[in-house]
Amino acid sequence: MNCKQAQEKIEVYLDRELTLSDRRDFEEHLEDCKNCQKMLDNLRSLSTSIQQTNYIKAPFSLRRKIKSELRDVTGEENARYGWTHLLGSAAGSAILASLAVWAMMTYIVDPDTTRTQLITELTTAHVRSLMVDHATDIITSDEHTVKPWFSGKLDFSPPIKDLSAEGFGLVGGRLDYLRLDDLQQRPAAVLVYKRRSHTINVFIYRSTDSEENPRLNKRQRQSYNLINWHKQGLSYWAVSDLNATELQQFAQLLRS
Amino acid sequence: MATAKDRKHFERLMLRHLDASYNLALWLLHDTTEAEDVVQIAYMKAFEHFTSFTGGNTAGWILTIVRNTAYNWLSKRNRGSNLISFEDVLHSSQNNSPTASGEMNPEELASAEISHSQITGYMKTLSVDFREVLFLREIEGYSYKEIAEITQVSKGTVMSRLSRARGQLRQIITDQTHREKTREL
Repeated sequence: MNCKQAQEKIEVYLDRELTLSDRRDFEEHLEDCKNCQKMLDNLRSLSTSIQQTNYIKAPFSLRRKIKSELRDVTGEENARYGWTHLLGSAAGSAILASLAVWAMMTYIVDPDTTRTQLITELTTAHVRSLMVDHATDIITSDEHTVKPWFSGKLDFSPPIKDLSAEGFGLVGGRLDYLRLDDLQQRPAAVLVYKRRSHTINVFIYRSTDSEENPRLNKRQRQSYNLINWHKQGLSYWAVSDLNATELQQFAQLLRS
Repeated sequence: MATAKDRKHFERLMLRHLDASYNLALWLLHDTTEAEDVVQIAYMKAFEHFTSFTGGNTAGWILTIVRNTAYNWLSKRNRGSNLISFEDVLHSSQNNSPTASGEMNPEELASAEISHSQITGYMKTLSVDFREVLFLREIEGYSYKEIAEITQVSKGTVMSRLSRARGQLRQIITDQTHREKTREL
């Protein structure tokens, strides 16, 4: 494959739509062509920028209106002062949030209770960060800005990587507090990445002595995927509603 | 007449795509109130024709209805200018291939520190069909074939539209960054 042919296929490659044999030819060409590598990087940067645009949750009032109108069509009675009405109010939203947390707590089935509590804690922290629109304390895609921001706030320095070239844009970071296995609250660094419309929270905290396992452990809680590993005295948990394959790809990149 | 059972079935299959529907409408209309109205109308239309839905890609089905409703809405509101494709203009006025001169390299593009609001603002300057294809590919992650089904054009048109949309967006970012640099000097 020459440069001209490669450049005709570059976006199709980026969009993962090339056939297997074309992909192989393209990657072979890419290995030796700095110019095409640069163009691909350029396209990836653009793609990451687009994927970082805000994805807005549909207003609850819209859901309520649709449900109400559907009931009108079927001739069903609308529960004006029932759950639908309650959940539309601010107090109702608070109740809904509490119920969501309660539901997560009651769905614990893992025999390893403390581990399961941690998973619930992480999932709840992830959901909370999305619900209150407070995913980041510092918003930047620059790893060199995020790193100093954490120093002074933590007694460890979380390794930070910008993976935007691989399609996982660094959005920023924040501090969080997690109740860990020993039931003590500890500070954790949280790195926030975006993959298309999906937010990935990476919780990093000091491991206990017994933990030193770089293998990726996959878990699932409700509709969220969690991947955990330990490296150089730190524990990592990547939490997201992103599919398990892409989250694993992300974890591998971050761990390497 | 549709029954409570139909409604429950419809809600179970389609309401999970409400966020995607709302965001698509927002990308096309740039107005939260209009986006809500369009999604509500689209969902009611979808329920009306639910019996014709034979199964398969529920997201694709509902998004097709949402985008058609949004396009009708735009045309009724006499927003014709928004509906004119930039494809012809781009063809004649500039080369938007990734090798275009004056193009930022990856480092420059990355260091341009484009904020969320900036990129959203730049996106607004694109034509509606360009915004649509970028949303479906970059945000929702649909394949060319799925986008072609939703937007009712050929796969080739999807590829060319996507490429031109990216080219135009890249050019806007480059121009804007250069303008800001000149202003700083």
